[in-house]
Amino acid sequence: MTEQPEVPPEPVAHDLPKDAAHRLEELEHGLFTSDLSVNEFLLVKEAGFHPLGFVMGSSIYHIGIQTRKWGESQELTKLTEAMYTARELAMNRMEEEAEQLGADGVVGVRLDVNYYEWGNDSAEFIAFGTAVKAEDGTSYRNALGKPFTSDLSGQDFWTLMQTGHVPQALVMGTCVFHIAHRKLTQALGSMGQNVELPNFTQALYEARELAMTRMQDEAGRLNASGIVGVRLEEKSHQWGSHTIEFLALGTAVTKGSGEVTLPKPITIISLDN
Amino acid sequence: MSTSFSPGTTPPADIRAEMLLGARSLATPAPPSEKRGITSDLSVDEALLLHAAGWEPLDLVCGVAVVSVPVGVWNWGRGAISLASDAHDQAVDQAAAQLRGECSKVHGHGVVGVRVEVSVRTHHVDVELVGTAVRPISGKDARGNDAAQAMPFVSDLSARDFTLLQRAGWMPVGLAFGASFVYAPRRTAGTAMKQTRQNVELTNYTEAMYSARESAMEKMQRSALHAGGQGVVEVKVTEGPMSFARHAVGFTAWGTAVRLVAEAHQFVQPQVVLPLDDAVVTFEAESLRGSESKGRRR
Repeated sequence: MTEQPEVPPEPVAHDLPKDAAHRLEELEHGLFTSDLSVNEFLLVKEAGFHPLGFVMGSSIYHIGIQTRKWGESQELTKLTEAMYTARELAMNRMEEEAEQLGADGVVGVRLDVNYYEWGNDSAEFIAFGTAVKAEDGTSYRNALGKPFTSDLSGQDFWTLMQTGHVPQALVMGTCVFHIAHRKLTQALGSMGQNVELPNFTQALYEARELAMTRMQDEAGRLNASGIVGVRLEEKSHQWGSHTIEFLALGTAVTKGSGEVTLPKPITIISLDN
Repeated sequence: MSTSFSPGTTPPADIRAEMLLGARSLATPAPPSEKRGITSDLSVDEALLLHAAGWEPLDLVCGVAVVSVPVGVWNWGRGAISLASDAHDQAVDQAAAQLRGECSKVHGHGVVGVRVEVSVRTHHVDVELVGTAVRPISGKDARGNDAAQAMPFVSDLSARDFTLLQRAGWMPVGLAFGASFVYAPRRTAGTAMKQTRQNVELTNYTEAMYSARESAMEKMQRSALHAGGQGVVEVKVTEGPMSFARHAVGFTAWGTAVRLVAEAHQFVQPQVVLPLDDAVVTFEAESLRGSESKGRRR
């Protein structure tokens, strides 16, 4: 049932533009950049990592056309594939930038989709994050030997590390679903009544489940022990109200081997209002 | 100084002398803060924090620059629009220099909480920086040197972030800015036709946007290095088509350049606390996931 490509597209080696190489070379001379706030910066340091640089990847992707049946709920596999592949391309490029900096991982990853007026049926998929490296030289690369990625903020990253878990990768599942329109007779039949609309419920339910299953499959491939901070986003993008993309995103984590003693939280009553 | 007119009073007889007086007062340093009180846009909490860290606010200072953009640069073309990004850089530099000047005049050692407003228009770029000048109460910087000797720093970090950063042994040095503008690439009609039904990456578009974004960030890095920074925190990136020319896309990246002034990074040793505020009692999933990240999650 997984229509999402089983294996993410193979990253094309060294397809970063020249300007990226320039910028990253400069970063190797001791300057770091990061979109972390001061709090996050200090917490990442506290967790034993040093930020290396702000990294990103982008892909402008033309999304194909798939015909939908007016009265039938169905997954639009071609669109699902486009949304997935384009995001993977952007994320791979971001990882490639991190790799070039010799990073152990990328924290605070954000995924965005931009539309430009001049790009018909195309969208720009962008991934941003801060590449970090462990200060004690331990390698934190994930099961695939790549730098880990995570959409956790600096605060969450520190807390996660305190619990003895290590982020593996940002995992995602997506599903573009066309939800059937109701027939006129159905609409008339339920007018003025309190009723569940089973075909809508079912379609939305199925689409969400598909997206989450795919996300879990990705985590499974990484031998992760769990996914934290899962978000489920719904967006119609530019397809009209009955075609919706369901995107499930989260950070796959594995439990480290070391013994952990969690600090006991101190209860405070703050004086803010 | 009596330069304000209330209705009904006669204007001064010698306007020229009045103006000279005004200009002179602008050019001379203000009296020390203890003689005239302070002005700042800091909240009470922030002011207290600053004092606790051994700093005091002095005055609200601002820097404004308007730089013209040559006529016609936004018209159709190819590649980067360097005239526009040059104007942008120049405007930012001028505004920051002005801010530093005002800061020095009130004997400040730096400006915190700078609000940055940049607007790029058809014929000009205008930059507005407003912040609070601060100085160490002892008059000495972290290394014990006379604070007034060094170049004042400029930072968009809040007073809270500033004290936190300082406690960890870092100091802001200045704003690092970078911008680049680029014409939107085009596809030939034939290619567009061929790609109508396909899922395909538009490689030339990707590369154009990618390069422009990288070049904005590279300029930011260069300006951070120039200011003597070792890192840039709170980098913000904005991008999008220009409102007046949809086929031109602008990218900016900026943040506060920082450098380590202590011997080594001082760890802050955070503690895990459980706040008992009402805001947390009314269960809100978002607050548990760290709403600190300022709209990072959309």
